Amino acid sequence: MALRNTSRRTFLAGTTAAGALILVPDLIGQARAQTAGLRLRMERDNEILDPGYMVGGSEVSAQKQCLPFLAEYDMKDGEVSWRPTYYVTRLEHTDPTHIAFELAEGLVWSKGYGPVTAADVKFSYERMKGTDWSGYFDALDHVEVTGDRTGTIVLNTPFAPFILVTLCHGTGAVLCEKAVTEAGGKFTTDFPATCGPYLYEAVPGQRANFVPNPDWAGPKPAAESVVVQIVGEEKAANLAFEAGELDCTDIGADTLARYRTSPPEGSEITIAGELRYMWMGMNTEHPKLQDLKVRQAIQHAVDVDSIIAGAYSNTTSKSFGIICPGLLGKRDATKSYSYDPEKARALLAEAGVSGLELTLKTLNAQDRLLTAQIIQANLAAVGITVTVLPVDDGTFWEMGMEESGDGWKDLEMWIMQFYTTPDPYEATQWFVSDQVGVWNWERWKNEEFDKLYADGIAEQDLAKREAIYLRMQDIMEETGAYVWINHEPTAYVHRKGVTISTAPSGELDYRRFEIA
Amino acid sequence: MFFYLIKRIGLSVAVIGLVVLMSFALLHLIPGDPATIALGPRASAETIDRFTEKMHLDEPVWRQFLIFAGNVVTGDLGEDVFSNRPVTQIIGENIGFTLALGAAGLGWAILVGIPLGCLAALRPNSALDRATGILSVGTIAVPSFVIAIWSLLLFAVTLRWLPAIGAGEPGNLPDQLAHLILPAFALGLGWVGYLSRMVRASLLEVMNEDYIRAANAFGLRPGRVIFGYALRVAILPTITLIGLGFGGLISSTVFAEVIFARPGLGKLLYDMVSARNFPVVQGAVLVTTGLYITFVLLSDLIIAWLDPRVRDAL
Repeated sequence: MALRNTSRRTFLAGTTAAGALILVPDLIGQARAQTAGLRLRMERDNEILDPGYMVGGSEVSAQKQCLPFLAEYDMKDGEVSWRPTYYVTRLEHTDPTHIAFELAEGLVWSKGYGPVTAADVKFSYERMKGTDWSGYFDALDHVEVTGDRTGTIVLNTPFAPFILVTLCHGTGAVLCEKAVTEAGGKFTTDFPATCGPYLYEAVPGQRANFVPNPDWAGPKPAAESVVVQIVGEEKAANLAFEAGELDCTDIGADTLARYRTSPPEGSEITIAGELRYMWMGMNTEHPKLQDLKVRQAIQHAVDVDSIIAGAYSNTTSKSFGIICPGLLGKRDATKSYSYDPEKARALLAEAGVSGLELTLKTLNAQDRLLTAQIIQANLAAVGITVTVLPVDDGTFWEMGMEESGDGWKDLEMWIMQFYTTPDPYEATQWFVSDQVGVWNWERWKNEEFDKLYADGIAEQDLAKREAIYLRMQDIMEETGAYVWINHEPTAYVHRKGVTISTAPSGELDYRRFEIA
Repeated sequence: MFFYLIKRIGLSVAVIGLVVLMSFALLHLIPGDPATIALGPRASAETIDRFTEKMHLDEPVWRQFLIFAGNVVTGDLGEDVFSNRPVTQIIGENIGFTLALGAAGLGWAILVGIPLGCLAALRPNSALDRATGILSVGTIAVPSFVIAIWSLLLFAVTLRWLPAIGAGEPGNLPDQLAHLILPAFALGLGWVGYLSRMVRASLLEVMNEDYIRAANAFGLRPGRVIFGYALRVAILPTITLIGLGFGGLISSTVFAEVIFARPGLGKLLYDMVSARNFPVVQGAVLVTTGLYITFVLLSDLIIAWLDPRVRDAL
């Protein structure tokens, strides 16, 4: 008999191995057991949920699930507008400086803080004027409370994008006055009180859980619960999606290109928005670049199509200005330059410049370096020698700032990318005369531009606003200080059957997801 | 032994003092205003002022250092710039994951590497020895992050046997163990090679000693000669390697924690450097260094306890 030949040791080894074999599927099963509900990704912990002091990004997503908002983004056919949320029965401009609102009935704060009132709206918006995000509320004068659930937002000046920019973003979250006051006036990693379909629980360093709110009487979201895993590296998140552990994750330009040609099985791609604009800037006060003809020569020498193909795998839109796709005032073409090396050489000859040597500074990131190298090759072809200088964040963001010393005087060319909000005014504000030495590193001033900036904010007529912003970009281009490059998209890959909802700036709104 | 202990602890304290100084210098060596660097380019003037005051950045540098060092001595590593949570609490939430990963990574490497080394030493130049040699050099030569990515692609993405990301459901031990397998495998594989080569070399050296020949001549069983006499001496350099290795693993878990999206000190450090959250960076660097020094000290003490010659050497 075989058993008679089995020693104690071989018996123990055999049973251990058998036990391990039994355990392995169980371990895997346990690992898969956590996949119920919607599984998403965020880059880091939500450190400050308070809309007044938040960093942004996933914190806005959390606010949208747990706090009332008066307005939300409405994106149709690539156009961005707003609509009232479930939380209000009325939200409308009664005149250019007054916005009337009425809260819906039956809205209740968690933890026994009672109904959501117009006084909470007043508290929430007026407190924002003293916070890190006060810039969004510059136009707010005060909020008049006219009843328990009714009130009027009073602006100190006509500000057309107030609802779209201020109220639809995380800054527009309504807080419970009593709960926030009891919490000491501000909060960080937990909401003092919530009113939304989900309650929020965070496991620091690991995940944020959104579980059903038992007090919520409003429309039920498609996903009963949402687990948002912290995955710092985008590439790791992409692999996790391919491994079936995430239902949706954001993807960068190279992954977008790869997934477009060979998408993971059962997946779809959604472009959230393209609210980033990148350009190559030139310091108009630098002795080497003071001559407009030299700057125009550089504009003509750069082949932007090559950059988009070479550095961004054709996944980004070509830029023709600072106003991003989907926004009022987006340009369809440049007016004063196009890729023309012959013209560039002629302009340099006209300027009497030869053997020009310039330094191009960029953030030390792969796509930016590739962009810089293509520009370097383009300019070399017209006789300009460019030294590419990659710099780290801390140094980069101070290069053109006067308050950081005299470094701006040596700044020649740089590659810059800004994020913006879904209204054209935000992108234009960085280039008015007051911004020279702050964010206008190109250092030009134009009275017409400054006037148009003020006009654009106050103008309510859409056609007139559009004309204003188109003209502002013409002025920028005519300075010769800009080579428009691209608008990088915020893209998501997700399971088929899951329709995602995002803000134009990319923040996910889980409650508005649809699941087939 | 007592004096040896005092001397080694004194040395360790001096190293930690140096690390405190370097952690402090971190914030000031980076070009630009520390507050602007920490808070980002669009932080308001009020926020920058609040941060400057909170971090004592308006004080002379020597005074800032004294405040920092004094706080470290009392166990106060400061507060997270953004969330205002105590740094010690944040580190406390992460340190367990790193220790578990380090222990699992090195643990399986010890379990496999030492027997492999013994087997190779017992039959030098045999096919098994050659196979072990090739395997060992192979695992040492391939960077751990490559192993991590390949194992993730194979076992998580293609076969879907094991989870790809995270540390598992809190309170669910099987789930947490399942999430530990791939990162521990990637972290420990190189150490299998190191340990087996080290044990093989030491054992071969010891096997040629007179007292082992004498034991063989007395007719003792090979198992008793190897495990009873030879390995006890041959293991000493391996213990030092394990001590250094565990300390090193603690600071090198960063790649496994980043690739497998696990919480831990390495990932915390990586994230906080990216976010320029310097109080947390300083705290994590200090704790990581402290752990490294502790493990090296422990291995030195074990060696000294086993080998009196080492005690006298210092």
